[in-house]
Amino acid sequence: MDPRQRPLLRRRLGAFKAMTWSLVAFLVLIYAWLQLVRYWEFKQLALQQAVKIRPIPAPRGLVLDRNGHRLVDNRRALHLVIQREDLPTRPEVVAALAAALQVDPQALTRKIQSYRLAGKGRPLVLKENLDEAGIALAERIRARFPFLSVEVAPRRVYLGDELAGHVLGYVGEVDEPLMKAKPDLYHLGETIGKEGFEASGNDKLKGVDGQKRILVDQLGTEVANFGQEDATAGRSLYLTLDAGMQKIAQDAMGEEAGAVVVLDLRDGGVLAMYSSPSYDPNLFLNRLSQDMVDRYLANNLTRPMVNRPIQGIYAPGSTFKLLVALAALEKGIATPQTAIYCAGKKNYYGRDFRCDKPTGHGSLAMVQAIAQSCDVYFYELASRMDVDDIYATAEKYGLTERTGIDLPQEKRTRIPSRAWKKKAAPKDPKWYAGETISVGIGQGAVGVTPLGLARFYALLATKGKLLTPHLFYGFRDDQSNELQMAPPPAFKDTPLDPKHWATLDEGLAEVVQSGTAGANPFIREIAKLVPFSGKTGTAQVATFVDKAHYARQAKKLKDHALFAGYAPRENPQIAFAVVVENAGFGSTAAAPVAAKLVKYWCLDRLSNPLPAPRGKMVDPFTPQPAEAPE
Amino acid sequence: MRERFRALDSRLLWVILALIALGTLTLYSAGRNTPQASIWLKQSLWNLIGLSLMLLLATVDPRRIFRYSFPSYLLGLVALAAVLVIGKKIGGATRWFVIAGQTFQPSELMKWVTLLYVSHRLGSKGADSIGRLELFGAVGLVVFPMLLIQRQPDLGMALSFLPILLLIPLMKGLRARWVVALLLLVGLGGFGAWKVVLKPYQKQRVLIFLDPSADLQGKGYQVNQSRIAIGSGGLIGKGFTSGSQTQLNFLPVKTTDFAFSVWAEERGFVGVLLALGLFGLLLSRILDAAREAHTYAEAYFCAGAAGIFSLHLLVNVGMVAGALPNKGMVLPFFSAGGSSTLSFFLALGLIMGVLHRARVK
Repeated sequence: MDPRQRPLLRRRLGAFKAMTWSLVAFLVLIYAWLQLVRYWEFKQLALQQAVKIRPIPAPRGLVLDRNGHRLVDNRRALHLVIQREDLPTRPEVVAALAAALQVDPQALTRKIQSYRLAGKGRPLVLKENLDEAGIALAERIRARFPFLSVEVAPRRVYLGDELAGHVLGYVGEVDEPLMKAKPDLYHLGETIGKEGFEASGNDKLKGVDGQKRILVDQLGTEVANFGQEDATAGRSLYLTLDAGMQKIAQDAMGEEAGAVVVLDLRDGGVLAMYSSPSYDPNLFLNRLSQDMVDRYLANNLTRPMVNRPIQGIYAPGSTFKLLVALAALEKGIATPQTAIYCAGKKNYYGRDFRCDKPTGHGSLAMVQAIAQSCDVYFYELASRMDVDDIYATAEKYGLTERTGIDLPQEKRTRIPSRAWKKKAAPKDPKWYAGETISVGIGQGAVGVTPLGLARFYALLATKGKLLTPHLFYGFRDDQSNELQMAPPPAFKDTPLDPKHWATLDEGLAEVVQSGTAGANPFIREIAKLVPFSGKTGTAQVATFVDKAHYARQAKKLKDHALFAGYAPRENPQIAFAVVVENAGFGSTAAAPVAAKLVKYWCLDRLSNPLPAPRGKMVDPFTPQPAEAPE
Repeated sequence: MRERFRALDSRLLWVILALIALGTLTLYSAGRNTPQASIWLKQSLWNLIGLSLMLLLATVDPRRIFRYSFPSYLLGLVALAAVLVIGKKIGGATRWFVIAGQTFQPSELMKWVTLLYVSHRLGSKGADSIGRLELFGAVGLVVFPMLLIQRQPDLGMALSFLPILLLIPLMKGLRARWVVALLLLVGLGGFGAWKVVLKPYQKQRVLIFLDPSADLQGKGYQVNQSRIAIGSGGLIGKGFTSGSQTQLNFLPVKTTDFAFSVWAEERGFVGVLLALGLFGLLLSRILDAAREAHTYAEAYFCAGAAGIFSLHLLVNVGMVAGALPNKGMVLPFFSAGGSSTLSFFLALGLIMGVLHRARVK
């Protein structure tokens, strides 16, 4: 009965033993295959998932106004992101994530899909600018969704909100077409200026991104740093803007649509440039939100994305009469003493051209014609010239070119000529003499940008200096925080004949003293404090049958009100142009805005400056809500 | 006491101690910088208790133990039934009793008790032939606890009963044609299981086995990370506590199912050869015990034990390398766990007893 004597059991146990050793051999072979034959492949895979190269975004330079007030600041922001290589694929994971984030699962799926197609270098941002509750939520759900990570990135903050939206612009991720067109200049995922000075001054503001090689664990948390190239921060810079002046412009415009430009006559620096309605660049840092679409993009009526001072083309109306007068004086067809009788209207080429004053101004010389803004006077001057004479004068003083301001997408002022008509209207290329009559009072085909108009009045104020408007004032020295003023762009000197100039200057002064603008008591009051010069304009948007009809018209068909000029009258310091859309008369709607600007610059600024010496960083505006904690 | 130590078979003991050393190092490294940092200490405690139990059993005459096999088997069935009712549910499965804060998995021990009882029954009859009644009786004894375990559900555990079913009748002289018939039965059973018995997650596991890289974030993720850990270990490994897959938590469940990947990553192919060599020696020595055994029951028990250890080795070490489906079967001496550790040592204690008796008589 001793089992050791049984050959069958011994035989079968021996076979089993051989099988166990073959089992061990089989396992050894599997491991030899993985660890010896495929070693490099798996080593690469292990490295790939543990060692990551992450960019270190360089902070962009700050943007300050001419007095050192911060207009654009950088804050530290935390975003909840998914790195590109970790995007979840399975629908149930996406659904669970959507539930955890309390967002619509379909929207999240679409977001992931479009991100995958877009091929962006930055991670997919699920939630931006996490607040304390957001960080707590992120930490909670990261345990369940290890592919999530929290990214620290500098964020732009536009301190004035809508104060200078169009001037400053905003930043965003570089577009793929641009990056592919200039691969040397831009890299994937880089933040660049998209609009405004952020775009035109991008090279000045941007720093150099760094990168780091880090070891991450399965949750994507940095475990070790193998070394990094630090990012070089972009240089901070000063703009020529005066934040106080800009605020005056913003407040004065209120809910009205239009444009305000103020130029510094010393160097062409832009002291204020406000486009109304403005936009808040802070909203454009986040991905397109419904709020933004409703407020800005879907709003076709007021077109808030257009930077009106350089992109709005307006009929200059009576503000154009100064150019017509200048052309007539230089051509010699009129002298300052030339008197013309206004009967309220005048017939040219079989058509009645009406003056703004139906009863007529009577007989006027040039200064009074400017002061009273007599249309018949300038019909007459225009009728004695060819349209190309007016164009030649405009060209001589550089008004037919772009101003060259350091902002993107400036439009060109349009002064009609015979050559222009051929190009613009190939079906009806002939220039009719009647059209010149309309040009005489700044109607018809004439279209100016508010900046171009301000520049023309700067030329009048400086007796012929054609300034180049600009926003870049200088860099901030990183050590001393002092302004290092950049040389202003060159200007062209085309001196006006002193006699001609004296006439125009006097006319403009009379507008405010006794003329169209002086009729407004508010203007008179400020002119008493600071005598200034300017010209009203009322540009027709549509032709009306009579005044009753006009009053009944919808607001958007009402005339644009304009006012352009310079201040103070003696030794002027600033030139300005104001356009208030569909507001009626220049004297009642636009001139008061200009008067407020003049008062601020010449009086209030000096007696009550904003509390910020140059170079010291004090926010003149209410700070943003507390940023994300450490 | 000295007498007791002398009862231990030194060749088997050294292999066991060496495997314990390897497993403890692995768990120390796997638990580092995780909430389970002290798991190697806890497992060492289980090992110590297990070694003591082994020492106790080694000096007991195996025949006395077999005498208790039937009551133990009945008790085991009751425990398996009870765990379905009052057991603790973890991750969708009811497999554990909770006693004084410790979880205890009755099926781990039941595997050995079933082996003990089946060995006893078949070993007490004539050798070199097996009657049909005997065979079907044995099949019933094994299949009944398997079904109870599958109710938990725990397919891996249920399958680990299979060596009992296959090996003991073979050792007793089951003809080859019966084996063929049995394999056919298993094949058909497998097909039936796929259609009827298997739960979706179990099917998923089999499917992932067929293509582990299909879904990196899903179930195949674990095996993929394990393969990366093993493969990147290379010939000599990344060094103790220096495996990137282990230390950076890319490797999942690294203190239990995937403990062997930790060893393979940090100690490389050389370490794998050492570990597998030790396992080979362990199995070899257990089969020596079967050959030297004084009774058929003892011989059958040792052969069945070798079969169960082999299955654990094959399924776990093969699974972590992606060569077999992810069955969740622990690897003795490497995977942390109280119930399994104690069960393994109890079995080894009985084997030690068999070797001792073979030596002294």
